Amino acid sequence: MEITSFYFLCFYAVLLLLYYVLPGRCQWVLLLAASAAFYLFGGNGWLILYPVAAVTVTYGAVRIMDAAESVFWRRAALMADVVLLIGVLAALKYVRFNGGAAIPLGLSFYTFSLVGYAADVYNKIAEPQKNYAKTALYGFYFPTLISGPILRYREDAAQLFVRHPFSYAAVTRGLQRVVWGFFKTFVISERAAIVANTVFDSYTSYPGVYIWIGALMFTIQLYTNFSGCMDIVIGISETFGFTMPENFRTPFFSKSISEYWRRWHITLGVWMKEYVFYPLLRTSLFMKMGKTLRAKCGKKAGKQLTTFTAMFVLWLSVGLWHGGELKYVIGSGLLHWFYIVTGEVTLPFWKKVLPRLHIPMQGKAADGFRILRTFFLVNIGNVFFRAASAGDGAKMLWEGVRVWNPAALFSAQTGLFSLGLDWVEFGILAVSVALLFVVSVLQQSGSVRDRIAKKPLAVRWILWYALLFYVILLGNYGPGYSSAEFIYQGF
Amino acid sequence: MDRDEIFRDLNEVFRDVFDDESITVDEETTSEDIDGWDSLEHINLIAAVEQEFGVKFTMGQVVSMKNVGEMVDIIESQVS
Repeated sequence: MEITSFYFLCFYAVLLLLYYVLPGRCQWVLLLAASAAFYLFGGNGWLILYPVAAVTVTYGAVRIMDAAESVFWRRAALMADVVLLIGVLAALKYVRFNGGAAIPLGLSFYTFSLVGYAADVYNKIAEPQKNYAKTALYGFYFPTLISGPILRYREDAAQLFVRHPFSYAAVTRGLQRVVWGFFKTFVISERAAIVANTVFDSYTSYPGVYIWIGALMFTIQLYTNFSGCMDIVIGISETFGFTMPENFRTPFFSKSISEYWRRWHITLGVWMKEYVFYPLLRTSLFMKMGKTLRAKCGKKAGKQLTTFTAMFVLWLSVGLWHGGELKYVIGSGLLHWFYIVTGEVTLPFWKKVLPRLHIPMQGKAADGFRILRTFFLVNIGNVFFRAASAGDGAKMLWEGVRVWNPAALFSAQTGLFSLGLDWVEFGILAVSVALLFVVSVLQQSGSVRDRIAKKPLAVRWILWYALLFYVILLGNYGPGYSSAEFIYQGF
Repeated sequence: MDRDEIFRDLNEVFRDVFDDESITVDEETTSEDIDGWDSLEHINLIAAVEQEFGVKFTMGQVVSMKNVGEMVDIIESQVS
């Protein structure tokens, strides 16, 4: 059951009604039952045993840590939890990589949420949960189970278990965000996907400029698909009275790759920083390495070299998290490490050279250049991410620079409108992307929903109903309406 | 070692780590106030503070301390 399917919308409508009709103390129990039902009817029901096992192991580990006096037992419980959960994650990803076995829905997301919780209890910054069922709701609260955001127990869990009285404002606000998510997914992502698929599936027939159009379309597809899914998930949660962590903050306005990763898939970045990067830098190995390198190469270079080494492990982990394939390890891992390291290492050079050439490093033009450069670099990574293999990705990029053929775009047979979308469809895509862009610009100075909420009733209703009908009429629902698949559901 | 002494020594550590002689930290100083205090530099800072005062921060303290005042609280509890 996809969360964009008709059945899901019926399921959700009934659930929302029950949620506010039943007594408040039953709300979290209802959500747990709904989450279990969602899992059982969502696909292969038996796979629910994986998250149930993960919740049980984490619950047990947390109980031991809470009761144990000695550091030894606390550490042993944490290690057992991490090894079992990450072990299952790695094993299932490895098996899938080799072409077999179904992956339980939300595997990476619930694994990371639960491991982070256990680590926080070990570090004494999260309150151990004594109730098994409440641990289970945290582990597989159904909206975030699908593709995140990755939750943090110490910040996000408490709200799940308390009573939320009906609030008209919260429910309408949440639904507004859901509609916006549908707009991104169905109007933009599903259209951009058609062009991206045409190019990526037979890239040998589409060299030169087509490669770049395909890459751009895939970047648009991935962003609107993933962030659209987050809008739906966070919007649904708002209707239940929850505030979930944001996963995106208009990432394409980033001026550097580091900034991009603070604005794209934020909860994964935060998780990696807290549970991989920091602990790694604090190991005695890295502490010693830092000391030795600082002594040998000087304070600054020594510090940089240590950090770059730890970042290599971090980016390798991010790449591997997406899947064992080399294309992910490169496309959303090591290539980004390479970008950041190159940027840091060459910075002194640019600081010397650019002023001599009278090129300003500050100001609007420089910022604009940085934003475009970052966007371009992200597109290169996405070519690997989307290509069938890392080798195909490299070949595509080579075909993109080898062949110069922008004129072909204007021919009747091979032009822009031969890639799966005719001029009307392309027009709808262009107008919708422009709308998304305008809203993203407005978001730089605060919430757009808040601003609309301050408008007179008539304006509000016209705006939201216009968007709703725009989505209903122009959403690309395919023949017979097959619902959209979310790309990150696979991770 | 009293709180003022800790602040005085801590100030030197900050100036050294961030290469900036103009830094003066107080109870309310946060990463927002100091140029370059990002997540990477945070760990380097922690390591330098641990070495200077002979203290040890837990991972929980590393990720949850909100300002320099909280850092001094932890140092104070260990050096007294």
